[in-house]
Amino acid sequence: MTSTQQDPTRTTEAALVLDGIDKRFGQVHAVKDVSLTINRHEVLGLIGENGAGKSTLLKILTGIYQPDAGSIEVNGTQVRFRRPQDSVAAGIGVVHQEQSLLTNLSVAENLAMTASGSRRAGTRLGFYRWGRINADAAATLDRVGASIDPRTIVGDLSFVDRQMVEIARAVQVDEMVGGTPLVILDEPTSVLERNETEILEREIRTLKEIGSVVFVSHRLDEVLRICDRIAVMRHGELVAERRTDEVTEDELFQLMVGRAAQATQRDDRAGGASQTPVVAVQGLTRRGSFEDVSFEVRSGRTVAIVGTMGSGRESVCRALFGAETWDGGTIELEGTSLSAWSTVKAVKAGVAYVPSERRVEGMVGGLSAAANLTLSHPGSTRRGPFLDPRARNRTAATWFERLDVRPSDPSLPLGSFSGGNQQKVVMAKWLMAEELKVLVLDHPLRGLDPGAKEIVNEQIRAACRDGVAVVLLPDTLEEALEMGDDILVMRDGEVTGRFDLSTEAPTSLDLLEKMV
Amino acid sequence: MSQTTTATPTSPAPTADGTPRRRARSGSWWQRLGPPAVFLALLLLIVVLQPNFFSGGGIRIVALQATPILLIALGQAIVIGVGSLDLSNAAMGLLAAILTASTLGSLGVVSPVLCVALVTLVGLVNGLVFAYTQVPSFALTLGTLGILQAASLVLSDATTVYVTANADVLAWMFNVALAGLPAAFWMAVVLAAVLWAVLRFTTVGQGMTAVGLNETGAIFSGLRTRWLKVTAFTISGFTAGLAGLTIIAQSGAASSFGLGSDLLLPGIAAAIVGGTAITGGVTNPINVVFGAATIALLPIGAAAVGVPPQAQSLVYGAVIIVAVALTMSRARGAVVK
Repeated sequence: MTSTQQDPTRTTEAALVLDGIDKRFGQVHAVKDVSLTINRHEVLGLIGENGAGKSTLLKILTGIYQPDAGSIEVNGTQVRFRRPQDSVAAGIGVVHQEQSLLTNLSVAENLAMTASGSRRAGTRLGFYRWGRINADAAATLDRVGASIDPRTIVGDLSFVDRQMVEIARAVQVDEMVGGTPLVILDEPTSVLERNETEILEREIRTLKEIGSVVFVSHRLDEVLRICDRIAVMRHGELVAERRTDEVTEDELFQLMVGRAAQATQRDDRAGGASQTPVVAVQGLTRRGSFEDVSFEVRSGRTVAIVGTMGSGRESVCRALFGAETWDGGTIELEGTSLSAWSTVKAVKAGVAYVPSERRVEGMVGGLSAAANLTLSHPGSTRRGPFLDPRARNRTAATWFERLDVRPSDPSLPLGSFSGGNQQKVVMAKWLMAEELKVLVLDHPLRGLDPGAKEIVNEQIRAACRDGVAVVLLPDTLEEALEMGDDILVMRDGEVTGRFDLSTEAPTSLDLLEKMV
Repeated sequence: MSQTTTATPTSPAPTADGTPRRRARSGSWWQRLGPPAVFLALLLLIVVLQPNFFSGGGIRIVALQATPILLIALGQAIVIGVGSLDLSNAAMGLLAAILTASTLGSLGVVSPVLCVALVTLVGLVNGLVFAYTQVPSFALTLGTLGILQAASLVLSDATTVYVTANADVLAWMFNVALAGLPAAFWMAVVLAAVLWAVLRFTTVGQGMTAVGLNETGAIFSGLRTRWLKVTAFTISGFTAGLAGLTIIAQSGAASSFGLGSDLLLPGIAAAIVGGTAITGGVTNPINVVFGAATIALLPIGAAAVGVPPQAQSLVYGAVIIVAVALTMSRARGAVVK
């Protein structure tokens, strides 16, 4: 462990140098001649739309893909990553977008799993040395500034705490190289609530003290707040590098998408439509997840429900869609009280649900995009029990054009599309139904790039104009304030606040107060 | 093949991440051309080793033996297609055969209809129990297998049951030939074509495929996933019943240890060799025809290269493992249970 004696003042020394990295997949040029330097004790933001080549670049950095050309230098030594273990050995740790902890084991066990084989191996002759494992885990957690008991079962932790453990695990790579890890955070905030994001930000500052950070995110404001320097990728190329203090959010957006941002101010909706609520939830209770929840959604209006993890708002939404049961209270759909509610009945009645777990719940990746589009409401694309492929392709083509879905071939399996384009298809699957009455959106913008976000939001507004009642679980409070007509705040399963945005103008802070 | 296991959470545009599409292509290549290619290759090998195969009516014998296997395999392929497994369908076929053998003399034409209906009902019950108790299908059907075997043993009095009269109600299926192959085989092929069309061109078929590929996604799309699974198991019972009839038509007798008592392994093998993805959602009944023909050819091929007939199960077992190993998409970090 000689390198621990590095002079901490040499902050400008490069931790990682990429030179002319190039990667093709058949016809597709995913990464074009990217040269990038990451300094010690620096937080570098990496931004770009879905498909800009960020993920491919990260996979090259973590040894999952091998570049066709170019070289990688870590701490001044040329390296070649043939497999993920090589990059770990070089001191590069990664926190993937989706959490990869084993939820039935303790925090310490999860951490020990990646530490094994090193000097801190937590086993002797194949037996666990519990004292050692727990002490080491505590030390690692302490180092990243997380106050979590290492004996806690991961499944019992909150989402943000799990993220902390993921980071602690990534930081462990430094024991291989002694002192200065490079940690890659791949969209760590896309699944966090705003207040949880603040905890993460603190975390990243701690990481900066001990090593370098590559921070990948879609949230430009966050990137600006957290990072020292920002690298922008577009169409596989590195199009810009900017110091955070010399760039604005608008400029970043333009660099990223190659055009100016459209104003996304709330338009004054005429409130329109009838006064009978489409959905009326009365005293809805499900033991252990929500209690006495009441609200109404009128035609053409959007109710945004905000709350932290564990607020129970997800369960309320799933109850609306028949995917979860409830013990008490009623849900009325256009005046009819629902009983023995199920997803089958919900879909038939014109209730739609865009789940946050898109790949698992929102779609069938192995079926073609066109089949997914018409799966729930075949409408005119079926004749009796038979499918009408020609009608289906016509319908799919129309929606693909309307939502600018790429690639533009609806016969490809939906699983092969990028996240943003998948979400467009998932939205279209419900929007195409004439019987659509209620649209329940669980984090519809999660993980989308700004371009796709604009399109999805525009579709939500269009649905409202057509008289659909929308229940929205937004990613951010800003999204709630932008898209909602009413805002419902939930905490620990109960409604703690209500705001009618046509008469009140709450700030994010007002909402936050009721959330925590 | 399963798209879900290959999908990467952060995948850039599909265009920027060639893997999923490339894998989709290789999967469909096997699904379309693999089974006939394997069949033709094996046929070629046998003709080379035994030049008198065709002149000796070899192909007719293969079709004869392939028929019950094909019928069992079609049901199995449909059940595998919804992501489950039916270990009991061969036993259902045998039960249908024994019941038909013992009632054909007294009931005549009604007997086969009744027996198929009864076994279809058993399939339906299998499906209902599976869908509503959510006992994993392999555990449930393993139980059903035991029950059905006991039933066959008791009903047949542990001896061979012979058809006493009215044998010609069924015997024509193998006596009448079309283009040199027995009518029963052609009927099974027609059934395969019908099932193929159901999977391709009906909402029920699309629903079953969706359930097999991603059941959660199917549930959240509002599909009647339970009924789709019940339907698959019912189809499996129905084809097993038909397989039972072909056993009687062929031999005029059935026993719980004789002809038809060992169709489970060949049935699964035929479905798999027919390109059915063990992970669900990829079933092509037309190719299952080639799968069944390949499995019927195997003993002949095995004998030609000197494998003793007692070791037939060894060949079937090995074929299942090899076929699955060749067709699984081995995505990095894929989870196997």
